[in-house]
Amino acid sequence: MSELNIIVCVKQIPDPEAPLSDVSIDADNMEVIVDAPQVISPFDENALEAAIQLSEESGGKVTVLSMGKKLSDSVLRKALAAGADELILLEDNGFDKLDSHSTAAVLAAAIKKIGSYDLVLTGRQAGDWDSGQVGLILGEMLELPCISLAREIKVEDGSVIVKKTVPAGYERVKAALPALITVSNEVGELRYISRTRMLKMMRGGIFHPGPPRRSAFRRMRSKS
Amino acid sequence: MSAHRIMYWQIENIWLFYLLTAIALVLFFIGAGSHVWVWRKSSKSVSLSGIGRALNKMMMDIFTGRRLIHGDMAAGLMHFAIFWGFFLLFAGTCVLSVHHYVVEFMEGGIYLWFSLLMEIGGILLLVGVVWGLARRYLQRVPRLERRAEDALMPLWFVMMVLSGFVLEGARLSVHQPQWAAWSFVGNWTAGLIPVATAEVLYPTFWWAHALLCLGFIAVVCYSKMFHILGAPASIFFSSAAPVSPPGLDDEAGRLDVAEAVFYDGCMRCGRCVAACPSTGAGEAYAPRDFVQWARKQMWQTRFPYKDIRLWNRNGYEGVNESLWYCTTCRACLEVCPVYGAAFEAVAKERRQAVEEGTLVPALMNQTLEKLFRYDNPWESSKKQRGAWAEELDGEITDLSKRGAEADLCYFVGCTTSFDDRARGIAKSFSKVLRQADVSFGILGKKEPCCGDIGRRVGEFGLFEEQKEKCESLFDKYGISDVVTSSPHCYHTLATDYTDTQFKARHYTMLLKELLDSKKFAFDKRLNVTVTFHDPCYLGRHNRIFDAPRDVIRAIPGVRLVEMEHTRENSLCCGGGGGRMWQDLKGERKMSEVRIEEAEATGAQILITACPLCLIMMEDARKAAGTKEGFRVMDLNELLLEALETE
Repeated sequence: MSELNIIVCVKQIPDPEAPLSDVSIDADNMEVIVDAPQVISPFDENALEAAIQLSEESGGKVTVLSMGKKLSDSVLRKALAAGADELILLEDNGFDKLDSHSTAAVLAAAIKKIGSYDLVLTGRQAGDWDSGQVGLILGEMLELPCISLAREIKVEDGSVIVKKTVPAGYERVKAALPALITVSNEVGELRYISRTRMLKMMRGGIFHPGPPRRSAFRRMRSKS
Repeated sequence: MSAHRIMYWQIENIWLFYLLTAIALVLFFIGAGSHVWVWRKSSKSVSLSGIGRALNKMMMDIFTGRRLIHGDMAAGLMHFAIFWGFFLLFAGTCVLSVHHYVVEFMEGGIYLWFSLLMEIGGILLLVGVVWGLARRYLQRVPRLERRAEDALMPLWFVMMVLSGFVLEGARLSVHQPQWAAWSFVGNWTAGLIPVATAEVLYPTFWWAHALLCLGFIAVVCYSKMFHILGAPASIFFSSAAPVSPPGLDDEAGRLDVAEAVFYDGCMRCGRCVAACPSTGAGEAYAPRDFVQWARKQMWQTRFPYKDIRLWNRNGYEGVNESLWYCTTCRACLEVCPVYGAAFEAVAKERRQAVEEGTLVPALMNQTLEKLFRYDNPWESSKKQRGAWAEELDGEITDLSKRGAEADLCYFVGCTTSFDDRARGIAKSFSKVLRQADVSFGILGKKEPCCGDIGRRVGEFGLFEEQKEKCESLFDKYGISDVVTSSPHCYHTLATDYTDTQFKARHYTMLLKELLDSKKFAFDKRLNVTVTFHDPCYLGRHNRIFDAPRDVIRAIPGVRLVEMEHTRENSLCCGGGGGRMWQDLKGERKMSEVRIEEAEATGAQILITACPLCLIMMEDARKAAGTKEGFRVMDLNELLLEALETE
């Protein structure tokens, strides 16, 4: 099997499982205020786990891509600790509260800049707004075949075979690589990242600031 | 002519015997040396302390068999017979060699006593071994396994003893010395063997006996019989080099020497299996199997020639997957003849699983994430931690507030802070403290987890982080005296934290002190019969059995009855070691087994002194459908009923 280059898009959100007492509503500004720790969106974690498992099987590289206004190193480096090879952060004040279409446009631009890839994985939907649109719009923008709600992903001879969740069970769908897949929770939970491993990753990891401002593009690589 | 024995009578080609002896001894020492090599390779550097005490304990355990007799009289006596039989025969043979090669002294009276002792040794060994076989194969004691070497080794013993008696009989049949009566068994077998036959077959008997005995020496280190050396070593090291708390920077899989020796000293007696509450509830975990798996793993990974055992090499595949069942209740260590802590072997394996990441069950994965994010495993906000106190009349001092002062810090703990039922402990204990005029305060929303869960499930990094949080908090607010709701917090603060600047107590210890200094004014007679469930981390882990019982007995009108399993033999509720936050299935729930025992005492109330026990038992009470009016209460709740004025 040839090596796979996988890009996983992950979103940083306030913990969707935060206790209710940590959530309040600002009626004047029509905003939900969540006083909870930031985390990687749960379905995106599933996508990351699927990517790591695929790369463990076939070799290759897992690149994690995230965008937002204030991205937290300590949250997103979890992806590196889990086994991703590279973390790319797109950070700009303008990236706050973008709609799905704009978000997909930014991600598409970044993925084109990254260049070569075989698979793009996203979570089926983000754990904060649950729109479930970015993945598919992104596929359209990149002109890739798209498969949504994957519960199992296999790569064989230049194509990907996906078990896709449907109301009555699942469908088996095949697409040529490169392709975009939105991943559902059935692929399995992201492996546990121990605190010692996480702390090692916080100390290690190579930080590439890139040109400041304008490009809003930073890269981090895991040491190994 | 004084009594004596002719050595090597009728035996030719003695060089062959010496050669075989040399081979047997070389095999023996290679085997023993390999064990020492593996122990050294598996463990950190060893520092021994209290060597005298450890040796004394080892000798007493070996020669009296007290640890074996305690808890299982039949098995203990069986082993006593085998041990003394084997010891007399082995020592006798050594003495005989000294007589033959070094200095001749075995004549007359000495020889007669020697003969008698050897007879007794043979009989003891035979009786013990046959009894052991009967226990295993006829009586079929549930905790015993029936693997190939379990039959082979005892039968080997039987052959050795019988061949010895036949050999002796043949010799006596020919010589017919007047002191033959001292060798009463041999004298009897002599009667069965005609003189002519005896004379002809003696060399054959002799060689058969020699081969059996030399063969046994050769295989000792390659079979479960290694416990002859391994068990004493394990007893010694468990005392002289106790298992140290794991450090953050320890190499993965690194053992303490006491652990490595314990794995090899284990001879699958299964006492831990009989005591284990998880096994007892029909769950897919048995401490013995886990230790055997760990032993095999140790040899596979450290020894160039892999597993050294000739038998019992297979059958432990996948045993390590049962690692999440253990509640770390310590029942296995309580009964282990070689003082091995199977639950610490489990913790080691859990640590590896946590570092690996992929083998952590989903629910445990989530719980650990929650612990990290919210400093509690209950999916609840830090802000709500002190909420229970707001439900009380009158404010409780929050030590984290500016200017707040109190003598005592009440460390409430996660479960007691957040669980609806367990909050009853915090409320009643606070009221009891007020009644006794104790100046105390809490840390409110600043209070972190003590780290117990991280420590027990092998997430040592998280444990360290939470420990640092606690310590810096105690430091910041000048806290030197801490009392906990949970025996788990108490154990963690008092034992797992090292070099602490504060004193930690469990609330039962404080209640006992208050009782002794007559701080309780009892107001009511309760007229109830109660039974007390010993929490594992209070009783077995910290030996606090009497303090809660003294408090219960001091309450007017309360009669305390004991359950079948009590004090150090108490059964776990099933909530410790991270089990509270897991969903593992067995045939039954440990808590249901326990609540039935409690009900069988005829008590109306089951008293506990731990939030996890309280929750587990309360749930079991509802699920098991106990008789009308049967209640589960915390000790504080009972105490408060007697103290409170209407």
